[in-house]
Amino acid sequence: MTTKTPTAERSIRIPRPVYSLAAILAIVAVAGFTTPSFATLDNLFVVIRAASLTGIVAIGMSYITISGNLFALSASSLGALVAVLFALITAQFGFAAGVVLTLLLAGVSGAAQGVAISLIGNPIITTLAFGTVFRGLAALFSGNSILRIESDLALWIGTARPLGIPTQSWAFVVAALLSWFVIRHLKLGREIVLCGANPQAAIASGLRVGVVTSVACIALSTGVAIMAMLTVSQFSQAKADLFMGYDFDYIAAVLVGGIALRGGRGSPLQAALGAILIALLQNFMLLNGFSAGLRMTIVGFLVVVSISLFHVLQGKSR
Amino acid sequence: MKMTAETRSNLARIALMLGVYLIFASRIPSYYSTAGVAALLDGAVLAGIIAIGVGLTMIAGEMDLSVGSMAAFAGILSIKFYAFGMLPAFLLVILVCAVIGAIQGYCIYRLNISSMVFTIGTLIALRGLTLVISQEKTALIPFEDIAQTDILSTKFFIFSIPSVILLLLVLLVDFLSRRTLWGREVFAIGGGRSEARAAGVSMKRPIVLIFSLSAALAGLAGALLSIKSGSASPLGFEAVVLEAVTACLIGGIALSGGRGSIPGILIGLFTIRFLVSGIAALGAPFWMQSLATGALLIFVIIGEAVIRHVVRRRKFALSAQPAA
Repeated sequence: MTTKTPTAERSIRIPRPVYSLAAILAIVAVAGFTTPSFATLDNLFVVIRAASLTGIVAIGMSYITISGNLFALSASSLGALVAVLFALITAQFGFAAGVVLTLLLAGVSGAAQGVAISLIGNPIITTLAFGTVFRGLAALFSGNSILRIESDLALWIGTARPLGIPTQSWAFVVAALLSWFVIRHLKLGREIVLCGANPQAAIASGLRVGVVTSVACIALSTGVAIMAMLTVSQFSQAKADLFMGYDFDYIAAVLVGGIALRGGRGSPLQAALGAILIALLQNFMLLNGFSAGLRMTIVGFLVVVSISLFHVLQGKSR
Repeated sequence: MKMTAETRSNLARIALMLGVYLIFASRIPSYYSTAGVAALLDGAVLAGIIAIGVGLTMIAGEMDLSVGSMAAFAGILSIKFYAFGMLPAFLLVILVCAVIGAIQGYCIYRLNISSMVFTIGTLIALRGLTLVISQEKTALIPFEDIAQTDILSTKFFIFSIPSVILLLLVLLVDFLSRRTLWGREVFAIGGGRSEARAAGVSMKRPIVLIFSLSAALAGLAGALLSIKSGSASPLGFEAVVLEAVTACLIGGIALSGGRGSIPGILIGLFTIRFLVSGIAALGAPFWMQSLATGALLIFVIIGEAVIRHVVRRRKFALSAQPAA
């Protein structure tokens, strides 16, 4: 409520991406010096692929965070459902129909979640419930068995490297730039930012908060669908327990990227940086033989610390 | 005599519970045998004890999502501490969890941060820590001691020690929450945070208290189940938070905080247990159970949101009439 002079505040503000960039450089430096297998070409591709897949979902998740809805806990389960559906449809009607129908179904599930969130008002509980349903449906549709697809086109999409760069990374770069453009330069993007910044003011000034929430959820679902289809294409198989526990990576990417949890601030590019950071960290820990538990502990503490740090940096209020 | 809205909604909840019970009881004979009811009670212990803690945090307008990892952590810890004897193991585990919960509550109070977000961070970290201390292996009670744990499975009519603990806890926490100053503070900060603060309610005491309590209860539940079965997996109890939250919401605890009661949680708990064990008893695969829980949760929260919307519209219409 106090009026601060804007200049005084601006003079000490460091742009948030600087923190994540510094952290990325630090990890690369430490890993490069201590881990001989880190700075190899093969490992580079592994990291890039992992970062791209996490990143595509994290970019979608950033829409939800920016629109003021914290985050969704249903991303990994939706990924499994979408993967199963994609495999089923591709086996039946071919690759092109698979892609189109899967994207459509993912969009519908996103819209359903968006409507539910704006009705209920608690995104985390709502998506927790939807996540369970998605995971159950994935098991139901797949009969809880491994589904295989046979499609040369899918295999090419999953494993090719046009101009030396994996397709996943092309998709990641395109998604990041497109999302940045939507948030910064389209009316819809500005509405998302404004709804996150101050929901009451947004409602009072006639912005379509419900539509914005649904759009954010559809953005996440689309990201999840792309990620799931790329993964299924790469390994030519899908099953209901895919991506179990990946939600934490997506959330961690958004959080360490420094997107304000209160909403209304940040850009999808920050989530992309955060995803690269998490992928580098995971890769570094894997190469050094850290156990799964230790890796999870470290990511968890990173999340707690970065939430607290950015929360303190942006001043104390919810 | 006119019923208050609260009585009416409580009656509706009890009717829902009985409805679910009758639907399955008509198909499953074990629903009205002594052994069947005892099994139902035992199945409700884990989610029930945890739901009391989660429910308290929800009443205060916060939410503790880290309870699943906390229960798994407590499970591993209780098996490790079992060397000191069963009762000391329980007490130690509850103490450790309560301290961790209190630290968590203090951080949430101090940083003034959204507790749902913070506890998701600790959910990940605690799960990792559990994997580390268990060396990613299932922890087992030594074979020669396993006979001692039978006391937890012994049935007295329809009750066992764990289910009696659950029922006593419901009575105790209900009493504390309604009759003590600390309990009223929990309701006050959930109902109107800024009004409570203006009236001089300290934020620190209730917030530290509820998170400490919910962690301790999660610890007790995890330890009970693990010692009873003689083993604990570091990956266990992942889905319990969903069941606990669902029980609270069906039991009439408002997502926005400030409303609800502990006996209500019991109603919600049995509604969901009747449904889930009924589905299991009819021979459906395991994923149908979580599917049903999730679908029920969506159904309940959307239903409540719609009812709230309609009630608000009607109130507006009523208050507009005299002015017109």
